[in-house]
Amino acid sequence: MKKIIPILALLFLTSSTIWAQFQVTGTVISTEDNLPIIGASILEKGTTNGVVTDLDGKYAITVGSAESIIQFSYTGLETVEFVVGQRNTIDVNMSPSQNVLDEVVVIGYGTSSKKELTGAVNVVSADEIEALNPTRLEQALQGQGSGVQISSQSGSPGGGFNIRIRGISTNGDNRPLILVDGVRYEDLSALDPADIESVNVLKDATASIYGVQAANGVILITTKKGKKNSKPRVNFDAYIGQQETSRKIPVLNATEYAILVNESYANGGSIPPFNTVSGLGTGTDWQDEVFQTAPIQSYNLSVNGGGDKIGYSVGGAAFTQDGIVGGDKASFERYSANVGITADLTDRLVFDTKLIYSHQRRKTLNENAIGSVLFNALNMAPTMTPFDENGDFTLANGLGNEVVNPLQQIANTHNNVFVNRVFGNASLQYTIMDGLSFKTKMGFNFSNVRAKSFAPIANYGLGKVFNTVESSVSESQELFYGYQWDNILSYNKTYNDVHTVKVTLGTSLQEERYEGLYATGFGIPNNDVEFADLSQATEIRPNGANSGQGQFRLASAFGRLEYGYNLKYLASLIVRRDGTSRFGPENRFGTFAAGSLAWVLTEEDFLKDSEVIDFLKLRLSYGVSGNDKIRDFGYVSTLSGEGTYVFDGGTLVEGTAIGALPNPEIRWERNKQFNAGIDLYLLNGDLTMSLDYFNKENQDLLLAVPVSGTNGTAGPGGGVPLANAGSIRNTGFELSIGYQKQITEDLNVNFNYNVTRLNNETLSLNDGVAFIQGGQFGIGQLPPTRWEVGQPIGYFYGYETDGIFQNQSEVDAGPSQQNASVGDLRYVDQNGDGAITVDDRVKIGSPIPDYIMGFSFGVNWKGFDMSALADAQIGNELVRNYERNLPLTNKTAYYKERWHGANTTTYFPRMTIGANDNDLFSDFWVEKGDYLRVKNVQLGYTLPSSLMKSIGVSKLRIYGSINNLFTFTAYQGYDPNISSGDPLNAGIDIGYYPQARVYMLGVNANF
Amino acid sequence: MKNIIKYYVFTFVLLGLVSCEDFVDIEPLNQVNSENYFNSEDDYQQALIGAYDLLQSSYINVMIGEIASDNTLCGGENANDVVGLQEIDDMTHGVVNEQLRSVWQWMYAGVNRANYIFEFRDKTDFADKDNVLGQAAFLRAYYFFELTKFFGDVPMPVDKRVQFGDEKDLVRTPQAQVFAQIETDLAFAASVLPETQAQKGRVTKGAAMALLGKAYLFQNKFGEAAQVLEDLIGMDIYQLHDNYDNLFLQQNENNIESVFEIQYSNLEGAGFGCLQCSEGNVAVGFNGVRGITGPTYATGFSFNVPTQDLVDAFEAGDGRYRATIFDVEAYKAEMAVQGIEIDYNEGFEHTGYFNHKYIPRQGESFQDPNLTNSTNYRSIRYSDVLLMAAEALNRGGISDDRARAYLNQVRQRASLGPVDASGSALTDAIWQDRRIELAGEGHRFFDLVRIGQAASAIPGFQANKNELFPIPLIELELAGSNWAQNDGY
Repeated sequence: MKKIIPILALLFLTSSTIWAQFQVTGTVISTEDNLPIIGASILEKGTTNGVVTDLDGKYAITVGSAESIIQFSYTGLETVEFVVGQRNTIDVNMSPSQNVLDEVVVIGYGTSSKKELTGAVNVVSADEIEALNPTRLEQALQGQGSGVQISSQSGSPGGGFNIRIRGISTNGDNRPLILVDGVRYEDLSALDPADIESVNVLKDATASIYGVQAANGVILITTKKGKKNSKPRVNFDAYIGQQETSRKIPVLNATEYAILVNESYANGGSIPPFNTVSGLGTGTDWQDEVFQTAPIQSYNLSVNGGGDKIGYSVGGAAFTQDGIVGGDKASFERYSANVGITADLTDRLVFDTKLIYSHQRRKTLNENAIGSVLFNALNMAPTMTPFDENGDFTLANGLGNEVVNPLQQIANTHNNVFVNRVFGNASLQYTIMDGLSFKTKMGFNFSNVRAKSFAPIANYGLGKVFNTVESSVSESQELFYGYQWDNILSYNKTYNDVHTVKVTLGTSLQEERYEGLYATGFGIPNNDVEFADLSQATEIRPNGANSGQGQFRLASAFGRLEYGYNLKYLASLIVRRDGTSRFGPENRFGTFAAGSLAWVLTEEDFLKDSEVIDFLKLRLSYGVSGNDKIRDFGYVSTLSGEGTYVFDGGTLVEGTAIGALPNPEIRWERNKQFNAGIDLYLLNGDLTMSLDYFNKENQDLLLAVPVSGTNGTAGPGGGVPLANAGSIRNTGFELSIGYQKQITEDLNVNFNYNVTRLNNETLSLNDGVAFIQGGQFGIGQLPPTRWEVGQPIGYFYGYETDGIFQNQSEVDAGPSQQNASVGDLRYVDQNGDGAITVDDRVKIGSPIPDYIMGFSFGVNWKGFDMSALADAQIGNELVRNYERNLPLTNKTAYYKERWHGANTTTYFPRMTIGANDNDLFSDFWVEKGDYLRVKNVQLGYTLPSSLMKSIGVSKLRIYGSINNLFTFTAYQGYDPNISSGDPLNAGIDIGYYPQARVYMLGVNANF
Repeated sequence: MKNIIKYYVFTFVLLGLVSCEDFVDIEPLNQVNSENYFNSEDDYQQALIGAYDLLQSSYINVMIGEIASDNTLCGGENANDVVGLQEIDDMTHGVVNEQLRSVWQWMYAGVNRANYIFEFRDKTDFADKDNVLGQAAFLRAYYFFELTKFFGDVPMPVDKRVQFGDEKDLVRTPQAQVFAQIETDLAFAASVLPETQAQKGRVTKGAAMALLGKAYLFQNKFGEAAQVLEDLIGMDIYQLHDNYDNLFLQQNENNIESVFEIQYSNLEGAGFGCLQCSEGNVAVGFNGVRGITGPTYATGFSFNVPTQDLVDAFEAGDGRYRATIFDVEAYKAEMAVQGIEIDYNEGFEHTGYFNHKYIPRQGESFQDPNLTNSTNYRSIRYSDVLLMAAEALNRGGISDDRARAYLNQVRQRASLGPVDASGSALTDAIWQDRRIELAGEGHRFFDLVRIGQAASAIPGFQANKNELFPIPLIELELAGSNWAQNDGY
């Protein structure tokens, strides 16, 4: 279309120029990139006299008089006007339209504008992503919009993130649906954040256009495309940086350790192991041994532009990151390339494609588990040296079966994953008649995931669980591939200038397949990683090779009707019917629907001319969406269990057994969501506010439900069935406030704040079950979390403490408590039966925050720009579970405050190796998880364009940036913003790999 | 152009309307549907292996049988290491107990796998089918026997699997009926199974008869017990192994005394997340000495440590002591004489003694050494058969002479002199010898309950309550809360 307008304009206007008296010429430049604008309209105001700019942005117009006003306009840019006066040359800088109401919002199978939007949608733009230098896109979403909670699964390079939109709605799969350019795509690690144009998050029921996949919200990612009629533009972005840990956990040094260990032995009636503590000094700081500074770098080069009929973009990127633990043993590399083309094949037929290739390499260490590298660094005795006198790794003898020398562990770890991926889409859009078009689109993805890990023969000391007496190599090759074929008919027409009607009708077919091969070989020659390959293994055992396949299909038809009256009353209606292969024949098809309404009060007469209120809109939406995120074929019973036994003195014999118990009745989970919102713009649009209330109820949750043992699911390779059980309600408020002001021509400031109030409550569980337990605390202890009606999912369940027994009479007077002695934690006898038993456990916290917040700030002055972004969580608890607390393991520094005599402390128990119950899961281990993190601070300088132009650079910006600069928190562990992603194990901190603090220097250049 | 688009739209409308149902109707790839199975002998044989698999998970039953009794203490790393076992040791176990839930879940998994075969028993015929069905019947009886020993009246699905939803229709079948089913299955197994199988480790006629005798004895059906056990003895297939000292070593697996032995292997790794998946004997690693050094023994988790009471129960000169009790300090002293220093760490409730029959030794496991020990569990030994026969003959008033003869046969192998008692004195002698002969093998607690001595022997044992273990609360709830809990819990 864009190219048609200038042509028409030309034809239209040429005849009127004969009255010319003044000729004005000039160049029209975009302030965005300092490049000429092709096809901008220039109009003599009040006449039909006009021209358009040529390929160099130049124009020439002849106007009637010196008083004539010339108007410059271009789609997406602010229209500007000048009185001609006596000038013959008028060069114009045009800047992007400041009217946020015209901002494009992607809503699924189509677009809308902020003005017309009836749903609750977060928009994150390329600028906002660019400002953060995220390694993965999820990082750029954190704190950027209300209702979206991002937590890190691990700070290690390539580590994943949990995205939760409007709370946790199931103990099953909480991940939102993610689409890249309209095509379902789940793994964001492959995407280069610099290739992303915008991210739109559909939070409310208007997401129902994605039907059975939309219950956890929908994230729509749009990648960058070339524009038609633009000169080739080269973008180069790069940064290099240095990473370091954002925190070390204070632990005892060697002298403190020896003193306290001696004390604990003496208290336990044993002989203290250290005869003298003098000369021990500070010993080994094991955290210093494992933490290191590590480099990070990113390069991105792209070219885009376009001619009359074609827009193109080509780009390539390289990203490498080493780990702050393990260096190149825990690293991530991504190399990617992409190409996009938009072409007008005929006047009515547009072809569009985007292809992305990505190659990733990731190496990992044992992390986020008992016995992980960081867990060992915390628990390793500081009196031990990394190496013994022979230069070998010191064995961690006597420290417990899971605690080993972390440096030895790093040295013996060889885990590699290589991923090759091609994904993208191609579409043809045909304009049948004005306002009516048909689009067919094929999306596809193909991934080859190859993994190899080598476990050498290793001896970490006596009885260590990591000891291996045989070397082995495990290799796997997995293919994931699929397609998505969408056909969409769109109709868009305005009747009588006031009735706007948009109709979208479509179908979608999707298929995902997976094939995997797995093998393990033993006996690697020389125990050497050089020979770590299946071809070199001396033995492959029965069960040593395996394969797997998977398949999933989805067939859908959908429609959306949008109606607007004079941009004042807006309504939208969505219906989608989905059929998914994940459910049995009886339950495969489901219909989902949603409706939304909006009323723009500022279009009403009583507000139209308000000096104060620029824009005011009320929104309402309600609808039902679904969730089908369960394993494939949960409705059929297959012989996928393990039935292995042994005959003839040691020969493994393979039999068959039933796998997971089928449930032919399973059907989609339903999400019913109500949303009410207000959008309010004040101060000429400088101040924007949105407030939303949501009430989201997920019913018939799709869960792997615990079932009776009599069903026989606990056999090897067996599994519980999937069933529709339970319901959860998330309610809350979201508030976003934005302020931006052009104070002077050179000075511009902006602030943004958003806050989400969350309330999570379980409404029901599967029949008859009072609660479901989960999580792990310590070793061999009862499960520490519960899911129970009336409570938030995964709340912490343990003993409440009431200080410390200060003297024997307090012990004697209290309820009977196993192993209780002076100096021990005193537990509360909740049921008053005179004894501390498992029945005295109560709720002692919840991992779900009450509030999540984001805050950003930016200022531009002349060529300088500065920005900062912070995010915060308030009201959740975290559990310290990284302390092994064995007689000779190291202790966290707070044990210096331990009880060691009457009234020495009312909080920290005594140290003893004797029998005690202080390690039971109690509120002693539960801490406030509140934090405020300065995620990013950046200072940039854009060199004057006058200077740069002479060397052919249209824009050059250099900047320095710091990620995760500081975290304000009282939490003692490494990182408060971390979670396994399992709702019943959330907030239990096993020594999570922290997110690194990153110092970066970078450059953004356009040519 | 227009035509192409017309066709295209037509096709896509057609696809959308007609074939959506077919499009999403797909079958699992390369996986056998469990309802289309049992089409050949091989299918039956394979399903049978699956039913055997759960025998390996009964290591937990064996541990509980000792820890609950007066033979051993729980031990472990500390007072809260495997809370469920600590509570059972202290007789404070309640309705929330992970280990008891494991027994319940794993034994029923075995029951379901055996029932799966019977559900399709008539589908395909082949020559050796009775042998398959006989083994399956034994396995089902074995699992039900364990369940009723622990929990008394238990739900008894027979000849069909318990599908999702069916569990709410199950009732707790009275123990007498459970035993009746066990007897039926074992009698059938004994009638069809051969005396020896081609592969070592498979169920034989003798195993079925011995377990049948045991089932009778547990019901005080002394006449029937004596009958079947003496029949077995008379078949002259088994005899006592001549050397008790090395009876439990790996070199003597599936020996002449083994009537039924649960087979383990160290060829597969394992993890704590699925202990029932291990092909190894998990109990052995749990029983090991924490951090022990030296050439012979491997380290473990110091659970299931023998009490002084058990040690004191051995008669002077009993040839079984060394093979049963591992005295770590004595061993340390012995090795010191040879100039080898032995170190180890004390665990919780350290008594200095360990279960020498099932203790990890060097070289017995490779991957995940604590979980994959390959030492077989001698489930039914011929000495057990002799002692059961003796008890049935004596308590049934059938023949004290023959009872005494069987007892003395066992004592003789232990280098002990014959007893000449009769009547209740002989009963006591049989029971005393039974404790010593089978110490560490998981029988003690259930024997004490069976003979009514649990309350006097086990500290903390409450009569009319602790004879049975509680059905885990979660299991009651998941089955629809239709069942009464065992008395006292």
